Amino acid sequence: MENMNFVLSGLGGQGILFMTKLLAQTAVNRGLKIMAAETHGMAQRGGSVVSHLRIGDVAGSLVRAGSAHVLLALDESEAYRSIPFLARGGRLYVNAPPDAVVREEVRPYLDRMEITCRLFPASETARDSGSPMASNLALLGFFAAFQNGPIPSRELRQTIDQVSPDRFREINLKVFDLGFERGSAKKEKR
Amino acid sequence: MTHEEIFLGNGAIALGLVEAGCQVVTSYPGTPSSEILPEVVRLIKSENLNTYVEWSTNEKVALDNAFAAAVSGKRAACCMKQVGLNVAADSLMSAAYLGTNGGLVIISCDDPGPHSSQTEQDTRLMARFAKVPVLDPSDPHEAREMAGLALALSEEFKIPVILRPAIRVCHARQGLIRGEIPRNGRKASFEKNPARWAATPKFRFILHGELNRKLKDIANRFDTLAPHNAHNLTTGKKYPLGILAAGVSYAVVKDILSDEARDDIPVLKLCAPYPFPEKLAGEFMSACDKVLVIEETDTVIEYFLRDHEKVLGRLSGHVPSEGELVPEVVYGVIDRALSSLGLKGLRDRGDGAAAELVKGLHLPVRKPTLCPGCPHRASFFAIRKARPKAIFTSDIGCYTLGLNLGGVDTCLDMGAAITMASGFYHSFAQDQIDQPIVATIGDSTFYHSGTAGLLNAVYNDARFILVILDNQTTAMTGMQPTPGLGIRADGSRGKVIPLEKVVAGCGIEFIEVVDPYDVKGMTGLIRKAADYVYHPDGGIAVIIARHPCVIAYREEAIPKKVKVTITDDCVECNFCLDRFECPALYKDEKLGHTAINQGLCAQCGVCLEICPKGAIVAA
Repeated sequence: MENMNFVLSGLGGQGILFMTKLLAQTAVNRGLKIMAAETHGMAQRGGSVVSHLRIGDVAGSLVRAGSAHVLLALDESEAYRSIPFLARGGRLYVNAPPDAVVREEVRPYLDRMEITCRLFPASETARDSGSPMASNLALLGFFAAFQNGPIPSRELRQTIDQVSPDRFREINLKVFDLGFERGSAKKEKR
Repeated sequence: MTHEEIFLGNGAIALGLVEAGCQVVTSYPGTPSSEILPEVVRLIKSENLNTYVEWSTNEKVALDNAFAAAVSGKRAACCMKQVGLNVAADSLMSAAYLGTNGGLVIISCDDPGPHSSQTEQDTRLMARFAKVPVLDPSDPHEAREMAGLALALSEEFKIPVILRPAIRVCHARQGLIRGEIPRNGRKASFEKNPARWAATPKFRFILHGELNRKLKDIANRFDTLAPHNAHNLTTGKKYPLGILAAGVSYAVVKDILSDEARDDIPVLKLCAPYPFPEKLAGEFMSACDKVLVIEETDTVIEYFLRDHEKVLGRLSGHVPSEGELVPEVVYGVIDRALSSLGLKGLRDRGDGAAAELVKGLHLPVRKPTLCPGCPHRASFFAIRKARPKAIFTSDIGCYTLGLNLGGVDTCLDMGAAITMASGFYHSFAQDQIDQPIVATIGDSTFYHSGTAGLLNAVYNDARFILVILDNQTTAMTGMQPTPGLGIRADGSRGKVIPLEKVVAGCGIEFIEVVDPYDVKGMTGLIRKAADYVYHPDGGIAVIIARHPCVIAYREEAIPKKVKVTITDDCVECNFCLDRFECPALYKDEKLGHTAINQGLCAQCGVCLEICPKGAIVAA
């Protein structure tokens, strides 16, 4: 298998670490090797948070700028800030309000680099599921709908079932499922 | 267990320690080291071990305690961040001479970047300074192996050994399979030998000689310490360029060369750099015309290489001398080194367009800030209100972020809020100037190194207000307990040592406790304290601002939630945004004035007391 590099970005408190953990655990459950890097300490206090996840036979934990296959962003500004991580042909999934569009200045770069960008109202989806704080799981569900790489959606769902704390398991799965459903609907429309 | 579990690097180190039969682990929390001890505790509980663990009051205390355990024949570890080793340096230097009986590993975690530290200092230099061996793992797996290796080396050569994982090891995650964990620990014993354990200078000279001999033997060992120290030269072949890489940088270099299929460039991995493996390095140097040295964060290996003409590194300007060696930086370093020698460069170099693009987007600057509902915010607001012209000396912790509220003017090192306050006082007093000074220090930092400075300040009759920001936890590093709480590292009950008693013991006569959520009450108290400070019979006034951390204590911290809103009385003076700086306050362009982000608001209600126009009200 080719190595696969993920970058996850957002703000402190949005659940970037948990998202990373779910993806990493799914890969490990499949017998794949992983390396991940997290942000702790001072930087966590309300600042930008970036997580790196590398699946495959790699030595280092950080994704080199220009080599991420997937960027998952829980905040629009943080998505733009992390754009340099994306490789040519990379895929970008961004939590953004329903009426949001990709910024004018960014379009030509994404086109030139053949980067697919999908905006998704993950916060609204989480709210619709009754768990406004779980935009991370909504975005993950949305992302899973477009996946056929090393993280199949069914197995990702199993991981959520496996690692969620008891009191959040049901709601986590619900949010993930709604994100997945909306992602699948969007995919079919194309 | 035979399946892979995902371990945090610090968890991998904890695993390595218990697998190696380490019986005593001490620590003072500090990013990026803080999770090692809790991970040991997790293993103690899941594996039912009787390992002794403690959160020590500071790093020197931690090292002394672990040292005694090692003298008693046990295997011991103490964990800290790199600047913590400065605090423990007194102990380290002497321990190197005395040596050990059992194994002693000092785990000092480096923070290139820096992400959460005052300096980017390189622990390997401290190892060189103290004359103790140092191991520099490239990933969590190697860190776990090196934890055991360090204890074994320490025991064999009777010398403390430093393990220095960098932040990208500590906070990396990797899948590992647990190994055997030994159950039967050693019994403590102590054979009196004052000539060694209490050596006078004359004997220290002899011990220094012994230490030098140990280092020579260990250097020989390090010459053949594969896979930690090893090269991939083909015998007899000559190379125009080789790369010498250490620690995390080795992992980065390995990935880049593999991505680029550059097996024409040999690599010498040196993850056990001191005492320096001269022979191994010499082999590599003589096979290569030039050697690019990539090590984090300072020049340790580079100085040891004798033929500087051959070396490309920091001294020659090929490698940046500050900042983290992240993959894209290392990529550029290798590419430029190749080009400068007229060799084929790397193929995947970006054009920097993305970085330029991002710069042009003027994205919001996200500086770290105190959490919504944080009691420190209330304290800083009250302090500035009561003593607007004061010098605000402060310290290391979440509350350093009080600088966003104009409540922090200085931050030097642990405990310097107090020592700099007394220093400022005497400097101004010498010129007959009554300079108001308010020092702020956290509870954990006060227990760490507040008392010596406070004793000194009282004894020498300095005058200032000291506010101890007591949020009843060590918040910045992940909510470790303090002596004020009386909860120990394994969760068991310890003795409670109240701040009030410690402060009184330092000779303070003005001690008041206040809840900073009562901003008016605290403001009044600070004014009262100021009167005391400048009274001829007064002294240092200590105010303990006590309110639990909203992250550590959630519900308990805000028992009475108040939903707040901002009325049209808001005149956009920005007073609340500048002086209160709560993440939940923002300027709403549609409303045309400041508003509350209800999703972020902790409903602490403190902001009800701050608006000059009374526009912030309960909803």
